[in-house]
Amino acid sequence: MDTFINFFNAAVLAGTPLLFGTLGEILTEKSGNLNLGVEGMMFMGAFSGLASVFLLEAGLAMHLAPGLAVPVAVAFSFLAGALGAFIYSVLVVTLRTQQNVTGLALTMFGIGAGNFLGEFVGRRSEVGFLTISARARQGFAQIQLPLLSDIPVLGPLLFSYNVLVYLGILIAIFLAVFLKFTRAGLNLRAVGENPAAADAASIPVAKYKYAATCIGGGICGIGGMYIIMVTTSGIWVHNAVQGFGWISVALVIFATWSPARAVVGSLLFGALTITRFYLPLGIPMQIYDTLPYIATIFVLIVTSIRPTKEHAAPAHLGLNYFREDR
Amino acid sequence: MHKLFFSTGLLLAVMLFFTACGQNGDTTGPDLTLENVRLAFIHVGDTNDRGYTYRQHAGTVAMMNALGISEGQVLNFWNIAPGAAVTTSIEEAIEWGANMIFATSFGHGPFMHEAAQQFPDVHFFHATGNLAVEANLPNFHNYFGNMSQARFLSGIAAGLRTETNRLGFVAAWPNPEVITGYTAFFLGARSVNPEVQMYVMYLNAWNNPTVEGQLAQALIDLGADVLGQHADSPTTQTVAQANGVWSVGYNNDMSIEAPDAFLLAPMFAWEVYLIYAVRTFVEGGNVRTDVLYGLNEGMVVLSDLNPSTIAPGTAEAIAAAEARLRAGWNIFTGPLYGADGTQLLAPGVEWIEPLSAPSWNFIIEGITER
Repeated sequence: MDTFINFFNAAVLAGTPLLFGTLGEILTEKSGNLNLGVEGMMFMGAFSGLASVFLLEAGLAMHLAPGLAVPVAVAFSFLAGALGAFIYSVLVVTLRTQQNVTGLALTMFGIGAGNFLGEFVGRRSEVGFLTISARARQGFAQIQLPLLSDIPVLGPLLFSYNVLVYLGILIAIFLAVFLKFTRAGLNLRAVGENPAAADAASIPVAKYKYAATCIGGGICGIGGMYIIMVTTSGIWVHNAVQGFGWISVALVIFATWSPARAVVGSLLFGALTITRFYLPLGIPMQIYDTLPYIATIFVLIVTSIRPTKEHAAPAHLGLNYFREDR
Repeated sequence: MHKLFFSTGLLLAVMLFFTACGQNGDTTGPDLTLENVRLAFIHVGDTNDRGYTYRQHAGTVAMMNALGISEGQVLNFWNIAPGAAVTTSIEEAIEWGANMIFATSFGHGPFMHEAAQQFPDVHFFHATGNLAVEANLPNFHNYFGNMSQARFLSGIAAGLRTETNRLGFVAAWPNPEVITGYTAFFLGARSVNPEVQMYVMYLNAWNNPTVEGQLAQALIDLGADVLGQHADSPTTQTVAQANGVWSVGYNNDMSIEAPDAFLLAPMFAWEVYLIYAVRTFVEGGNVRTDVLYGLNEGMVVLSDLNPSTIAPGTAEAIAAAEARLRAGWNIFTGPLYGADGTQLLAPGVEWIEPLSAPSWNFIIEGITER
């Protein structure tokens, strides 16, 4: 039982950055924008989240309380991700550049900017690398809830994570409700499916595209910050994000653009990435490392065998909208 | 048409000018001094790793200070993973006028070897590699520190500290360098604690902080209460800190990152070799093709022991073992048995490494690979 609890805990921790990336990209793609810049936005969020706490601590010459460090990191990583997505939106929505190329450029830019700035600021800090105080780090440690965490089995299984895990779940619930039950959510889906029809119904297409892409990018940015704050415990390390953004893009398809399935998908992928450490089967470790990708291929095949409207990509995904185009 | 001719001509002139600037005279020769020798370093990571590359660069800086080499004489390439980028960096370094080119990662080897054949006037120095002896070129050298000695000593601290008698080791690759390192670490722990067992898990990378963290957590979940590492980032230390267990670092005093977990770290002191190589080269002597320096030469050292975590008696036990090692005792002396009970080394038989890069590739009893 302990092994299972440990395995489940590790899967949740490994899956959470994927959850943020996937949710952000789902929101983005619902507006018809295929933003391949997730990896870049995660890097920007990672740097910005860490650096904001670091600079605030340096500026105030004090150690931030955990309760303050978390909102600061979340806010700034969100802003950095949103800034990356805003650049993308200006290029794609206003200037109508090709989406794939723009997204790839954003990835390259974000990786470079994040790594450069992380190391640049780090070299100038007192200790020679970019990190935050032990006190601020406490905010990203696992929490103990008064009664819930003490429940046998369920406590460690469900109520023993850091706050960002719960934030991810909250965002997933919020997005699911937003897309399904609100007028704005319906409008956004209309923009992604058929912008011309949405336009005719006087829905401001460009505004929706901008808003969804920027907020989605912000959520991706939080995912990057999670990697730096939780996985590497608040220390900047070169190339920390290492491919999580790309797996997130694949997970969007895996989740068939549904926030609820994104939770399941990222948990599953998180589990697949750490299976090797918990379930020794005596097979070569390289095979373990391919499991998430084999799963992706499998799901892509299954979802394409029986295409249903409910689980399909937004019809206008990847295409730019020209009002005058007929 | 005039414009086209003019701009083409201008372009050619500019190119010619820069090519002329890039020209360098003979790179070796009697006129080479400490004031004009040019050194290039190709690093697999960058100093932000707070570990391997940080330490490599610290060695460069110490060598520069010792020999009075100015910053303008040194060119660093960061984050050069094994691959075509190594060749590009070498070419850039030669363009810049490098006389000595150093590379720091095992995977840089084949590219260094190729370049050594292509550019006979430039000397190539490859840390951790094993190709120079066989290549037998006058301008291609290997060097290494005998890290297993320092790892053995750090293992003593782990063996005295553990309460569960289970150690965990975050290992980069299942290759001889790494296996030699953790075997020495384990033997150090065994030498003071015969009950001790060790789990090893592999990253399949030198540096992947995410996986390092996950793997460290998995080892702790298996019951390990002291972690060792052969990976480039300090993530193992911070995960140990977060879980309230202990850890042995690598290549840096990682007590800033993990004040309540970090015990000590085995470290390279690369400057020992760099000073020897640069001085010998400039003086026109022959740098030895394959150099292995250990505790006696000061090429491997231990960080300060962290007073708030170290077990009582550790410093004395380490000092006693260090004296034996300095007197020439070989860690890899039989009897040593494999996990299945087969005898790897008969009693009293020593394992002598032929090259500076280790080749011990056996898993001994007490170590479990996961």
